[in-house]
Amino acid sequence: MTNNFDEKLSESQDSEQAVESSRRNFIFGSVAAAGLTVAPGMMLYQTANARSLSDFSLNEKASSQVRWGMLVDTTKQVDWNKCVDACNKEHGLNNETHSRDDQKTQYIRVVDVKNKTTGYSMSLPVMCQHCESAPCVDVCPTGASMKRADGIVLVDRHRCIGCRYCMMACPYKARSFVHEVLTDQTENTPRGKGCVESCNMCVTRIDNGQLPACVEASEGAIIFGDLNDPQSDISQLLAKHGGKQIRADLKLNPGVHYQGI
Amino acid sequence: MGLHLNLSLHKLPLTIAGLAFLAASSIANAGQSELGPKVTIPETSGEQCVLPAAEMRRRHPDLLKHDRIQTLREGLRAEKDGSPLAGSLKQCVNCHAIKSEDKYVRIDNDEHFCVSCHKYAAVSIDCFQCHRDIPEGSGNFHALTGSKQHYSNQVPGTYSLTIKDVANISPEVNSDDK
Amino acid sequence: MKKLHFIEVEGNTKGFFAFLSLFGLISLIGILAAYYMEHNGHWVTGMNNQVIWGTPHVFAIFLIVAASGALNVASISSVFSKTAYKPLARLSGMLSIALLSGGLVVLLLDLGRPDRLIVAMTEFNFVSIFTWNIFLYTGFMGIVGVYLWTMMDRPYNNLTKKAGLTAFIWRLILTTGTGSIFGFLISREAYDSALLAPMFIIMSFSFGLAFFLLVLMGSYKYTQRELGDYIVNRLKNLLGVFVAAVLYFAIVYHVTNLYSAEHRDVTLFVLSGGGIYTFLFWVVQIFMGSLLPLFLLYSPSTQNRKMYSLASVLIILGGLAQLYVIIIGGQAYPMELFPGMEVSSSFYDGVVASYAPSLPEFLLGIGGIGVTLLIVTIAIAALKFLPISLADEIANPHSK
Repeated sequence: MTNNFDEKLSESQDSEQAVESSRRNFIFGSVAAAGLTVAPGMMLYQTANARSLSDFSLNEKASSQVRWGMLVDTTKQVDWNKCVDACNKEHGLNNETHSRDDQKTQYIRVVDVKNKTTGYSMSLPVMCQHCESAPCVDVCPTGASMKRADGIVLVDRHRCIGCRYCMMACPYKARSFVHEVLTDQTENTPRGKGCVESCNMCVTRIDNGQLPACVEASEGAIIFGDLNDPQSDISQLLAKHGGKQIRADLKLNPGVHYQGI
Repeated sequence: MGLHLNLSLHKLPLTIAGLAFLAASSIANAGQSELGPKVTIPETSGEQCVLPAAEMRRRHPDLLKHDRIQTLREGLRAEKDGSPLAGSLKQCVNCHAIKSEDKYVRIDNDEHFCVSCHKYAAVSIDCFQCHRDIPEGSGNFHALTGSKQHYSNQVPGTYSLTIKDVANISPEVNSDDK
Repeated sequence: MKKLHFIEVEGNTKGFFAFLSLFGLISLIGILAAYYMEHNGHWVTGMNNQVIWGTPHVFAIFLIVAASGALNVASISSVFSKTAYKPLARLSGMLSIALLSGGLVVLLLDLGRPDRLIVAMTEFNFVSIFTWNIFLYTGFMGIVGVYLWTMMDRPYNNLTKKAGLTAFIWRLILTTGTGSIFGFLISREAYDSALLAPMFIIMSFSFGLAFFLLVLMGSYKYTQRELGDYIVNRLKNLLGVFVAAVLYFAIVYHVTNLYSAEHRDVTLFVLSGGGIYTFLFWVVQIFMGSLLPLFLLYSPSTQNRKMYSLASVLIILGGLAQLYVIIIGGQAYPMELFPGMEVSSSFYDGVVASYAPSLPEFLLGIGGIGVTLLIVTIAIAALKFLPISLADEIANPHSK
């Protein structure tokens, strides 16, 4: 099934239907392509049976059976700025009018890394790493900084008092503080002055059965999936080719893994 | 259409001064409809709200509060039958957005649905410091609906595909719904 | 030893109203500055997404740390039974509450959403050291309040020792908690040290006593009450010991950090290449805030109250500098996303973050000191906090 919520909405929003069907077509199209690239193809088929979409539909709670994660293949020649643009567009970022550059929100950024000794350099996108033992969740005095049952770390802005302790605690600098009054937010990403925010793995898209914006924009260089499901392609790829976490020494077990770092 | 709002005073977190003022004015209203502050309840686009209007006036904060916890913290974004949650602010805005001269009225305007009444009752709301105040795609910013295709990844040879997508398109799952 | 009499400061005098207006004005300016920051949002400050906590936090943490230290004098009297400090115990307890209030005002007014204070008071995450601090701070005020009561209400005098002991233990935990706000941050190398908590305790001794000495000498001077050398000399000698102890901790902290390769870069940053932070460390913290006060307090050539006051002011400035280096310097130094690699990004990875304090931030911080002094001024006029005389024949328990 698709999302019946989507369908319902489409009664009032004509354009929704077109988008929905185009998305379906895209997935059909890419499944054929995926069959060629993802080995073994049969695995994909099995997992389709292993988890039905009802697990992820709008009217189900986030499940602790699932742990959403990402695998970023930094060896792919991708313009990571496309991911940044997609993220900014999805969440309506970059709409500050007063803030200095160092005060503006960034959910995802491109980090250039260079080895001083060897001269080897590379780029990779860094966003909230959705840690299993997230320091931001631990230090938050009000519980505004929280981890959903499915491993997504996000800020409950209804509770955030803007103390910024989570920003102090995050080893990835993944969080931003809103330094000014904002208007014209997107429907799915409420944001406002005085609260801390960060990548939420496009949680409304995930609940809606869609991929996070950066994953869609990554031309296949970012794989999204369930780390708890050994049959998922992210788990399979991790099992086969391995992956690294940034600052794995801190033992926070981030949900975002990288290849080629 | 200007109908007089019959506020249930005891439910509103007003200051004592505000209470006295309102009480005095509603007594005045009873006798002579020209006196005292009035509120205009704007017309809306939807056929029916989630509760009768009288109850909605009283209970909308509870609905919003209850469902924001479910939505944000638990990821539950729709009722069992797939309809939107009763306390979905997004749905409130979608139905109740007011148009003036073909443009949606924003939160800084007294004609905005929420503002019109909240200003009357002197109860400040901070929902729209973060939440979008008018329906999507209607402001300067064209998010989601307009942009989905823009960053759909249609490059051949991709495998940015999740289990969910596979489940999404598998025909047998598709057919047993609706 | 003659009998000790406490009496309120006469409130209906020009001098009293002058002080009241002065401190009231400073508080008001601080609150207006906070309103300006909150109304516009934090973009009007020097703070940004790299330097997250700025000047207000330097002042707030200074005042909170000093609050715990200001209670020392009372603790020495009640817990360690040093009768010489007994006449000062009330002022000590009251000052600690005033300092804590001033610090908390600054801390709360710098929140992104100070209007949601009620959320902080109703939603708790007990894993967070911040949550614990909310209880430690409010509990401290309550316990010291009871402690003051037992001192000032004769029928309850027999409970003073117990209340004093509770307050003493509580304040040690409180300062540990404050230090741990930073000590628990694994992500930032400058803070990742167990030494921070004990260092904050010894810093509290020093800053709190310096503040106490200033308030004591100031209030006795301007109310024309007698303050003998006996008590002043004891306090200034004690202050010198605390200053030396803070200096010792600062040295140990940096030397151990130099020894471990992991922390060497950030330590070298503070000690040599850190621009303003290096200046603040060597010139303000070490020279002006530690060595010069030690000289002023102990050198035979500078044995007068003007010099003790100067030393106390310098210790406070040095303390602010020390916290500035720890809090802001620690944030300005780039976080190690990929240890050993050079990193750069649009989000200022790998570069020393720039931070210039803005006027409203500074005024808010000063406003916190204003609130503290305003509370002290009102309190000494409202209740019997100050002995009518602290002349040597009264204050010195060994005098005939």
